[in-house]
Formats: sequence, C-alpha cells, structure tokens
Amino acid sequence: MPRILRTLTLGLFLASCAGESGKVEPGVLVVNEAEQTAAFIQNFNPFFEFGDVRWPARHSMYEPMMIYNVMTGDYVPWLATNYTWSEDNRTLRFAIRDGVKWSDGRAFSADDVLWTFEMMESNKALDLRGLGEFLAEVTEPEPGVVEFSLHRPYVPALEYIAQQPIVPRHVWKDVADPVSFANETPVATGPFTEVLKFQTQSYKIGRNPHYWKGKPGVEALRFLAFPGNEQANMALVTGDVDWAADFVPAIDRIFVGRNPEDHHYWFPLVDGTVFLFANTAVPPYDDPGVRKALSMAIDRELVVKVGMHDYTRPADATGLSDAYARFRSAKAVEAGTWVDHDVAAANAMLDEAGFPRNEEGIRFDFEIVVPSGFSDWMRAAQVMCHGFREIGVDAKVKTYDFNTWYEKVQNGEFQVSLGWSEVHESPYGLYRGLMSTKTVAAIGETGVENWHRYGNPRADRLLATLSRTRDDELTREIVYQLQDLFVEEAPAIPLFPGPSWGEFNTRQFTGFPTAENPYAPLTPNWAPQTLLVLTELAPKSSAEGVSAKR
Amino acid sequence: MRRLLENRQAAAGLAVLVAFTLMALFGPLLVGDPTAFVGVPLAPPSAAFWFGTTGQGQDVFAQTVAGAQVTLVVGFAVGISVVAIGAFIGTAAGYFGGWIDDLLGLLINVFLIMPGLPLIVVIAAYLPAGPVTITIVLIFTGWAWGARVIRSQTLSIRDRDFIAAAIVSGESHLRIILVEILPNMTSLLVSSFIGATVYAIGAQVGLEFLGLGDVSKVTWGTNLYWAANDAALLTGSWWTFVPTGLCVATVGFALAAVNSAIDEIANPRLRAHRAFDEALAEAGVEKGPSTPVIRRRKTSTR
Amino acid sequence: MKFLLRRIGFYLIAAWASVTLAFIIPRLMPGDPAQAMFARFKRKLEPEAMDALREAFGFTDAPLWQQYFTYLQHVASGDLGISISYYPASVGSVISTALVWTLFLAGVSVVISFAIGTWLGILTAWNRNGWLDKIAPPILVFLGAFPYFWLAMLFLFLFGFVLGWFPVRHAFSPDLEPGLNLAFMWSVTTHAFLPAGTIVLATLGGWLLSMRNTMIGVLDEDYTLLARAKGLSERRIMFNYAARNALLPNVTGFGMALGFVVSGSLLTEIVFSYPGQGYLLIQAVRSLDYPLIQGLFLTITLAVLGANLLVDIVYVWLDPRARRG
Repeated sequence: MPRILRTLTLGLFLASCAGESGKVEPGVLVVNEAEQTAAFIQNFNPFFEFGDVRWPARHSMYEPMMIYNVMTGDYVPWLATNYTWSEDNRTLRFAIRDGVKWSDGRAFSADDVLWTFEMMESNKALDLRGLGEFLAEVTEPEPGVVEFSLHRPYVPALEYIAQQPIVPRHVWKDVADPVSFANETPVATGPFTEVLKFQTQSYKIGRNPHYWKGKPGVEALRFLAFPGNEQANMALVTGDVDWAADFVPAIDRIFVGRNPEDHHYWFPLVDGTVFLFANTAVPPYDDPGVRKALSMAIDRELVVKVGMHDYTRPADATGLSDAYARFRSAKAVEAGTWVDHDVAAANAMLDEAGFPRNEEGIRFDFEIVVPSGFSDWMRAAQVMCHGFREIGVDAKVKTYDFNTWYEKVQNGEFQVSLGWSEVHESPYGLYRGLMSTKTVAAIGETGVENWHRYGNPRADRLLATLSRTRDDELTREIVYQLQDLFVEEAPAIPLFPGPSWGEFNTRQFTGFPTAENPYAPLTPNWAPQTLLVLTELAPKSSAEGVSAKR
Repeated sequence: MRRLLENRQAAAGLAVLVAFTLMALFGPLLVGDPTAFVGVPLAPPSAAFWFGTTGQGQDVFAQTVAGAQVTLVVGFAVGISVVAIGAFIGTAAGYFGGWIDDLLGLLINVFLIMPGLPLIVVIAAYLPAGPVTITIVLIFTGWAWGARVIRSQTLSIRDRDFIAAAIVSGESHLRIILVEILPNMTSLLVSSFIGATVYAIGAQVGLEFLGLGDVSKVTWGTNLYWAANDAALLTGSWWTFVPTGLCVATVGFALAAVNSAIDEIANPRLRAHRAFDEALAEAGVEKGPSTPVIRRRKTSTR
Repeated sequence: MKFLLRRIGFYLIAAWASVTLAFIIPRLMPGDPAQAMFARFKRKLEPEAMDALREAFGFTDAPLWQQYFTYLQHVASGDLGISISYYPASVGSVISTALVWTLFLAGVSVVISFAIGTWLGILTAWNRNGWLDKIAPPILVFLGAFPYFWLAMLFLFLFGFVLGWFPVRHAFSPDLEPGLNLAFMWSVTTHAFLPAGTIVLATLGGWLLSMRNTMIGVLDEDYTLLARAKGLSERRIMFNYAARNALLPNVTGFGMALGFVVSGSLLTEIVFSYPGQGYLLIQAVRSLDYPLIQGLFLTITLAVLGANLLVDIVYVWLDPRARRG
C-alpha cells in the first residue's frame, strides 16, 4: 500500500505544476467571442452574420466607410473621409480615402465599394438589412467618390450604407457562392487580418502588414472556445481573457476583487431598453389602461436589483436608453407616471377598466414567456410575477428553448414576453418598431419586430416626416412628439435601459474606453465600433512589465 | 423481507429511503413556497437559512426539500415502468423461445447498445419540457436493461421441472408466466427496480442540468441548473449545489445498499461467506490456510 | 468465427437502428431549422433575404422517406452532409476533431477505471473484511452515486479554480501545436487529468464490486482449493488462477461500460470545456441541425459498436469456450 501512496503523491506533485492560469502570451490580446460555441470553424465571411462566422470578420478585418460612435453620437470617418447629402435627401456621396491598402498589398479604391453593393444587389441572401428596399443605384461619378441614389428621401439609410463592411473586388469576383464562401484566408483592410493559427478550441489572428492607420499596438488577437457562460466567466475572472462582454454576477467581488489593479469593467447603459411586451392584439392587453396598470405593479428597483444585480436602473416611460440621451424629453418623462411603483393606483385602474376580482381575488391571468438561457430575464420575470399578484393578476413564468420562444414571439403566439430593443443613430428605428402600423404583422405571421403588434397612424405620420429630414430642430421636435405619444399610449412597458457589458484586463495593454474616457463603447460585440478600440490599444508602459498573477 | 431488515446495510438504506420519501411527500407542505424571494441572493448558510440562498434570493433548504418530490416520483415511476416492460418482454422472450426470442432479443440488444444520453438529449429537446417528457424518454431508453436480465433468468427457470409439469397439466402460458415464473425472480425484479430507479434519478438530474427539463419547476436537477446559471462556482456559492448533489448521492447510495443486500440474500454463496466471516469474528479466530472448526452456541439468526 | 460474424451482423443492425432514430426524431418534432438558424441574427431579417437564404441552404420540402433514402445513400459513400449551424462546414469536418477527443477521454477513463477497479476488487475479495474491504467499497459506491457532472463541477471548482493545480478548460494549451512532441503530450495529459479523474472516480465503484463478487465465487471453486493444497503461494493463486478466471465476465462488461462512459462524458466535457462531442450535440439539437445530429449519432454509435467488437474479439481470444459458440 505505501507504494501506491508514494506514486500518488508524486503524481499530484507533478500535476500541481500543471496549473496554467496566469500564463501570458506577450503582445497578444485575448478576446471573448460573443456567441459561445464548443468548436471554432474557420469562417470569416462578413456578410454571413447569423451564421457561424468568427468574430474578427466584422470586428477587426473588414471595415466600413464610416463608423457610428454611440457614445459621441457622431460618425467617425474611416474608409471614407466624409459624406454629404443632397438637398432633397435622396442622394448620398462618400469621398473615399486615399492610400488604403488591402492586406495583400493591392490598393483599395471606390471600385471595391461599388463591387460590395453590387454583390448585395445580385445576391438577396447577402442583403440582410434590406438595403434593396430604398437603394436604387450605386455609382462612381468622379474618381474616388461613391454616390448612392435612393428611391425616396430616407435619412436612416445613411447608417446602413455607411457601416457596410467593404470587401475586395479582386478576391470576391471569383467566388461562386458568396453565401457559402468560408473566406478562410481573408484579404481585408482592417487592423488584424492574418490567420496565424486555427484550431477548434482556439485561434490567433495577426496584424495586417499594410494597415492604413499604422501598426496597431497589439501584436495579435487570441480567441478561446467556451461552451457556456460559466466557463467564459471563469476565464475572465482568472485573468485568462483580456476583453469580454460577459454578464458577471457580483462583479466587484468576484472579478475586480481578484485583481483590483488590472481587472476593470464599465457598463454604460447604451444598449437598447429591455421592455415587457404585452400582445396588444389580444384582449385585455389592447387596453392602454391595463398596460399601464401592469406597469405600475412592477417594482423596477427590485427587478434591477435581483434580475440585473443593480447594474442598471429603472427605465422612464419614454423607453429611451442612454444611447438616445440627447433626445430625451423631460416633459414626457414627467408625464410618464405609469412607470412608478404604485400598487394602489394600479388596482384602481384595473377596477375602473372593468376587471373585478373573483372570489380568489384574481382578475385575470397570463404567462410571461422567457427564453431558457436568459437567467437575468428569468429572475426579472419572477420578480414581476410576484408584483402582479398584488394587483390580482395571476402571472406565471414559462420558459422555452430560445428558438421556440423566438418563433412564438415573432408570430404573436404569446400574451406577455420580455424583449430587447435596438439602438440606431436616431430613435426612428426604435419607435418604428414600437408603434408603426407598417411593422405590425397578423398573429401567425412572422413579425421580425413589433412583436406586441401595436400600430398608430399618428406615429406613422411622425415617423415618415422624421425619415425625410436632417434638420436637427425638426428632428428633435418630432422625437419629442413621438415620446409624448408613447407615454400617452404605453404600447410597451419599458423596464430598464440595457447595459452594454464590457470588461477588460490591463495586464498587457491600456487604452480601453472607460467611464472617465468614454471615447467609444467598451463592449467587444458592437461592430464596427470595435475598430475604434483596437486602434487605440497600446502596450502598457514597460516599467510595469507584465503581471502574471492567477 | 425479514432477512432484509436484519441486514444492517439494508436496514440503514431503507431507513434513508423512507426518510426521503416522507420528505418528498410532506416536506413541501412544511417549507412554504420554494420560489419565493426571501433574502439577499447568494447568502451563505446561516441560522435564518440553513442552506443559504440561491442566486435569486430563494431558500436553498426549501428548494432542496421541495425538489425531492418530482425527482423521486419520476425516479420511481421510471423504475416501475422499466421493470414492468422488462418483465413483459423479458419473460416473453425467455419463455417462448424460437423466433420470438430471436426478435425480442435483437430488439433488446439494439436498445442496450445505443448510446443512451445522446438519444435522450435528442428526444427530450423536442418534446415539451417537463417531468412527463423526461419520464417517457427515460423509459424508452432504459427498458432494455430490465428486459435483458429478466430474459436470462426466465431462460434458466424455464428448464426446470415444475415448469414442465405446469405445461403438461395444461396451464395457460400467461398463467405460467405470472404464477410460476415471475414469483421465482422476486429478488431480481426488486433489484432491477432499484437499478432502474438509480439510473432514472441520475439521468433526470443530468437532463435538467442541461436545461432540458421544465426550469420553472423545482426539482433537484433544475436546482443544479439554476445554480450553474447563477454562477455558483464563480461566486464560490457552494451551498447552492452541494446539498442537492449530496441528496442525490445519498438516495443513490441507499438504493445501492439495499440492492447489494438483496444480492447477498439471493446469492447463497455471498450469504454463506458473510455468515462464515461473522462466525469467525465472534469466536475471535483468524482465518488462515487451515481454519479450525467452530461450534456456535447461539442459534444462527441468518 | 461464427460467433464473431453473428456479432458483426448484430452490430450492423444496431448501427442502422441508431442512425434511423437520429434521422426520424428531429424531423418528427416541430420547429424549422431555417428559423433556428436565423434566430441568431437578433435583429430584423428581411423576408426576401430569408427566402433567398432558405434556398441557398437547400432546406428541402421533399417527403420524409425520400430524404431518408438520400441520406442512407450519402452515408454509404461517406458523405455526412453539410452542417446547418456551422454552415458551410461539412459535418465530417466539424465532428472529426471532436470525436477524437471524446474517444480519448472516454477510452482513457474506462481503461484506467477498469484497471484500478478490477485490481481493487481482487484485493478486497482476497482480504475480505480487511481494512481495504471495509473502506473502499462504501466510499467508492457513494462517489459513484453522484452524477458525473456534479463531481466534475466540484473538482473544477476545488482543484482548478480555487487551488489552481490543474488547467480548467480545453484539451491542451492553446499556444501549442498538436504533434508527437513531449510538450504537447504532457499538456494533453494535464488537461485530461480532471475530466478523466472525475469519470474514473465515479465509475470505480462499479468495477470494484463486480470483480469482487466474481472473485468470491471463483475462490470457492475446486481448483482454487486444489491450488492451495498443492502449496502454491497465495499471490500466485490470487493473480494467476482466481483473477484470471474472474476477469472474463468483466471483460464483456467493458464494452458496455464504454458506451455508458461515452454518454456520460457528454456532461463532463461541457463542464470542462473539453472539445469533444458533448457540447456539439447540445448545440446541434438546439439549432435543429439535422445533418450534424445524424452525424454525431452515427459516429458515437459506430465508435461504441467498434469498441464492443474489439472486446468480443479479445473475449474470444481469452476464452476458448466462446470459439465453439
């Protein structure tokens, strides 16, 4: 027996040298991909966004003409040096930057821009954002200038056109099927384009030798595969990942606390507001009084505390997150009293609306549907259910697998659900998806947005005007009116502004955006703004060296 | 049965099982709503909350107690079903022999050899989530074990004289199976039931951990699912998953203890060995290449 | 020989049944793989684009039986199709590395568990009621009563996260190149330690008990008594006579155990982010990725059947009586 013990001890001792946290690859930034996946497949096709495409395709390899910076509200010139609208807002011109090279050394030009949009026109499967609906023609009227002609005046087109990643004609003209093209050795203009290593559990991308902005401070990007949140978070917490957008509970204690010098995070509330959507095509949710009453039964402080670990705050009645802070109407916020937690008022409202309590004290019941992976939404929904019971509404949480849930909400086969909202340059897209009759689909038909199926002709008129103007005054005026309408009608119930998750580790690199230096959002998941960050990062001053803590 | 209770191992195991069954039946009435928010999330065990709180501020103790019900019900349901189906198919195969045996035997072997969990995952992912689905899926993938064992036993019993006598005296096949064959393999049936239950509890917990159960129900498996989802390991909140794991293991262990006791009782050789060792111990004699004969004064109670 | 041929025939039928099930079940259930795929794109997807994509992927509406025969044809020619969730990668390319790691982990675990468990079984049977017999079986059975993944989580937490003794994810260090060099092989070993260790500990009890019980039976046989009477040493009797004979029934259990472990390792792989087939299957099922599900099933089943066939061959070699059958 002693022999065995000896062998075991020796084995354990040897093995103890095997622990690996703290190993650092010099010059390499380790980034967490957004989608958790067990195995990486080599695919860098920037068009194929919902497929299994690797992060670098749109975040570090292919670049657009302009980058919209949600923190400043401005467009940053990138592959184009400026843009101009025609007077009638039907033509958009971009001046293409000189001196940009593709990673294979060939020159980038306006011709590549033309080719990219041509491809999208001839392959509908690549036109995921429906540019074809408003874009009529793309031409090069003078050398170095690209002109986009629209079918009608449509100012929101700028965002989509300007941020489209551009691909090289000389490579893609020979691609038979651009949808299934895996683009394993990409030729691109971005800061990191060279595939140095690729395995199923990890891969490494090196610098673009011809990058037009000069050599990036980081030498290479490394990516690790994780099958789930727990594993991804563990890597972040042990310091094996440098840049991530993970949801980490009690982050001060378990992340920052582990290494206060190098572990940092910043969660600006610039992602879309999270709403509670009641299906307005189904009674009694077609009654704004009912919607407002439900809203008043929600203790948003508790929801934020238990569901979101206090990382955000209760939303106001306009439904605008901080991405639209400059559009917020103080008047509308004040008028939106139905987001305050007021159980008595809620009860009164339901009594008035004609929903008496039965012998058990119940007025009506419903199910809140939630996708089963979203634990923060699950917790939020459970808190809300407890609140609803106080006003005599018997609500229960029902979970479905993500795909099933997504299908249900898009088809309107639900009573109440949580949901996200989008962030664009202006609230046009947001309110269109919340209130426009154009986005309403019948129950059973797929509605990619406006799951709650609320349409208001007044909103339509306001939105139409908004889409045609670039005048700041007029824009603000219309957005204020949209907010007033939203507060009046309560088409959906805002819960809390969405935090934009971001964590970083300064063991090797500094220059990340922070609350003190908010030059861009911190999250690595918001293309193409990640280009702004990747070109800012620089090695930490050599005096401090590289910390190899666990 | 008496022998079973006199075996210390089995008695302990049974006691544990009875305790858990009582907990499953009456526990939920005593602990209140396990999904209620009662405290600060992720609080460690304290006087107020014996097992601490979950990531959503719920009482882990209440959840552990309440979770027993569904888990044990599914476990026992699968256990019984597997034995019932196994008995039906196993005896048919063993008794009738010939092409029936070939066909059923093939069916049994095919189901035995298919990788269980992947098949379970595939099926469970598509049916509506919940304990009923899990029960069905586990029965579908697990019945072959009982069938195989019962078939072997049927084959060996079938050749005995009393069966031949029964056939000759004109008893119907069904009666022979029910009255002559099955009662002679009681211990085997019980053992199969226990084995199937252990398997069912383990597989169920695994499936629910993956999120394939109904995550709004409180069961041992979903407790572990939520513990993982609320980053139990990362926050060092061991109390959110250790109690449930211990419960599962204890129940499994108790079942295994009862099972091995049954094994001993049914297997005369093992029983004899144990009796022998105990007699030696009583007389204070060491075992060696040549062992003296011992006379026991007390009447043997084994 | 006839015995082996019959077994091969049986395995072929089992493989076909398994694959057919994997084909039928996802298709009988509600859900649209196109939806599942587009659901990743959590924003507006224009209907035109969706239709065009559907066509590009060949989401066919052909009747079920037609699809089935097409599928069987492809499988016979070694073409497992194109994965939907990893489009445009072929199923073969997605599975291949994963299969290797799953088999490595499961295989190593079963072999080690079998070796240690059987050896402990011999010892406890020999020294019945000795200190080993009193401690080992209860502890190991108790450990075996825990679900695999629970032990995995515990070990990951204790030895990986808190103590940092072992790597906590993946099959080898990412900065190494796979190859037959010492650094790589050492890295693979240290990364496999925790996952395999979990499986070994959880399955040890079973091997111990079954070997122990068989040994007890064998020790009563006449030939053991004869060996003692002839004056052979205890050790010789234990290993050369008793154990060798007791081993036989356990060898047949080996193949079955491999099947079990391949199943159970699914959860262990997820906990340790081990790049095996475990999480691939979950993802495939969630994305309604029929080709991938079918491919995974086929490879897992074939691997298990192959192992069982190997075991049968070994058994025939070990036990002359079986050759007659």
